[in-house]
Amino acid sequence: MTREPLSLSMEKLGLGQKLWALIAFLCLLAYLVISIYPFLWMIASALKDNSEVLTNSSLIPKQVHWEILADVWNRLDFWQYFLNSLMISVPIVIGTVIVYSLAGYGFAMTKFWGKEFLYVFFMGLIVVPTIVVLVPLVQELRAFGLIGRDASKFATYVGLIIPAINGGGPWAIFLFRSYFDSMPRDLRDAARIDGCSEWGVYARIYLPLAIPAIATVGITNFISSWNAYVFPSVVINNPDWYTLPLQLRYLDMQSVVQWNVRMAGSLITVLPVIIAFLFLQRYYIRGLTAAAVK
Amino acid sequence: MANLQTTSRLGQTKANLLTPTRLGQTLRKQLKKNSGFLFVAPAVLIFLVFGLYTIIYSFVLSFFRWKGSSIFSLFPPTCEAPGCAFWGLQNYKDFLYEDKGVAKLFWMAMENNLVVALVVPAATILISLLIAIALNRAGRTIPLFRTIMMLPMVTSGIAVYFAWSSIYLSDGPLNAMLNAAGLGFLSAPHGWLGTAGTALPALMVVMVWSSVPLAVILYMAGLQTIDQELYEAATIDGANSWHMLWYITWPLLRPVTFIILIFAINSAFQGFDLPLLMTKGGPANHTQVVGLRIFSFGFGDDLQLGIASAMGWVLFLLVFVISLINLRIFRPAAEEVSK
Repeated sequence: MTREPLSLSMEKLGLGQKLWALIAFLCLLAYLVISIYPFLWMIASALKDNSEVLTNSSLIPKQVHWEILADVWNRLDFWQYFLNSLMISVPIVIGTVIVYSLAGYGFAMTKFWGKEFLYVFFMGLIVVPTIVVLVPLVQELRAFGLIGRDASKFATYVGLIIPAINGGGPWAIFLFRSYFDSMPRDLRDAARIDGCSEWGVYARIYLPLAIPAIATVGITNFISSWNAYVFPSVVINNPDWYTLPLQLRYLDMQSVVQWNVRMAGSLITVLPVIIAFLFLQRYYIRGLTAAAVK
Repeated sequence: MANLQTTSRLGQTKANLLTPTRLGQTLRKQLKKNSGFLFVAPAVLIFLVFGLYTIIYSFVLSFFRWKGSSIFSLFPPTCEAPGCAFWGLQNYKDFLYEDKGVAKLFWMAMENNLVVALVVPAATILISLLIAIALNRAGRTIPLFRTIMMLPMVTSGIAVYFAWSSIYLSDGPLNAMLNAAGLGFLSAPHGWLGTAGTALPALMVVMVWSSVPLAVILYMAGLQTIDQELYEAATIDGANSWHMLWYITWPLLRPVTFIILIFAINSAFQGFDLPLLMTKGGPANHTQVVGLRIFSFGFGDDLQLGIASAMGWVLFLLVFVISLINLRIFRPAAEEVSK
């Protein structure tokens, strides 16, 4: 993948170019610090005493308070909101990958009447602001009995999951189609001649080879559903069913802001996403790259 | 279907064609030919139920006065007085100019949106392009560096907004650092989010911060596709690095810039969770955005669902037009390049 960039070693560079290289390096370093600083601050604040968060702007706590994290997890029931978040995000990711890998394959590999128009239409949906359809969506979910006083936890979550899958659709179609497009068509043609069905070609040949695209779509939708605030906040009306972001917000409205508790809750919220990303980033970047330079 | 119609136009074959077996065969043939649609069908089905319906509903609702009580529905078409009434274009007129209070807030929000939509995409593109070029020059990037660099993208959301909010506090680390560096005159004594002049820029910093990583990845992907011989040839012709950036790199990266701009413009106009969670539009509406106004009419204190929908459609129209302009400027170049 990586090509040798204008291979100029330091000895061959003039003084001016050395200076530029140094400036570039310093800029990158500064950017690196800015990227990570909020996280370091979050970790540091989660380990500090509440009064210390606002008086000690150093990243190193005077005394490390591990008990705050444990307290937030146990006493404030964050493990429960964690599970709630998981119950919503995992089906969204799985549903999105299944529905739109199929659609992406259909758009990339098969022929049917109105295909081009339908694809352009789906891409056009990217510019429809989600806030525009939020009011009708809530009305519709209410009509289906998925929101309201009588709706169960399961019904409420179904009402959250399916529209979220639909919302992630256009990008997922774009990414999957681009990825399947970048794969050789000969594979399909050969398998078809050997008597494999179109479905078989998708399920047994192309999907297993599309792991980068699956990772990209999966991570993108995991991040957005895990962090989602606005839509869940209008759909979920029982505090026991809250997701992590809603509970973080709820804590905040209840009492005087305790910054260390807030940061400990925030840390618990961001960690799963970071861990998932660490494992899948290589694939994620490959999937994204295929779409970008198609 | 097309097949059926064209042959039936030739009168003499019509009788032959429409025997039941022939019709069955033709249909089966057509179905087989279009069977690829089955792959797309689940996506279309979900869209019809949870997408198209809501889009039509919101468009119709934008011409009605309704607060959510009594009944308004599309199937069957109902608008039950007294809670609901046909309002024509009045919703649009109200927030555009007639209702002074509402209109004033709307245009304030729109102004902020436009500032955000100009500054954030431009800053994102500038910063990410420079970083991508620097990383590309450096050859192999250290994996740890790459991971750290991508952290902001992974964790946009309430947790990170909280972290930034505390950084921006009057006693927070940003002011502390400025004071320590002897730049105390630059600090915001009432907090960066609490001061009228700095609140919106402070929010924009967070937006740029979280949108740069994705743009860097896309630009790096784009840079990999540029033929190095172009640069070598340019060097022989005596071009300096600035020329190469402007005449080779930038034009060849246009398709990537297009995708980044789509992302950036969309989030600039659509995103309102950041002001909702960090400033609630304050201080004194200095971080008010259109999305926040719509949310307020749709779910908040101002509850007027018709106005919420009408505002939504004005926002949609704006994003649509800007996206078309983006398409005109950046997309044709993509085809020229690939030729």
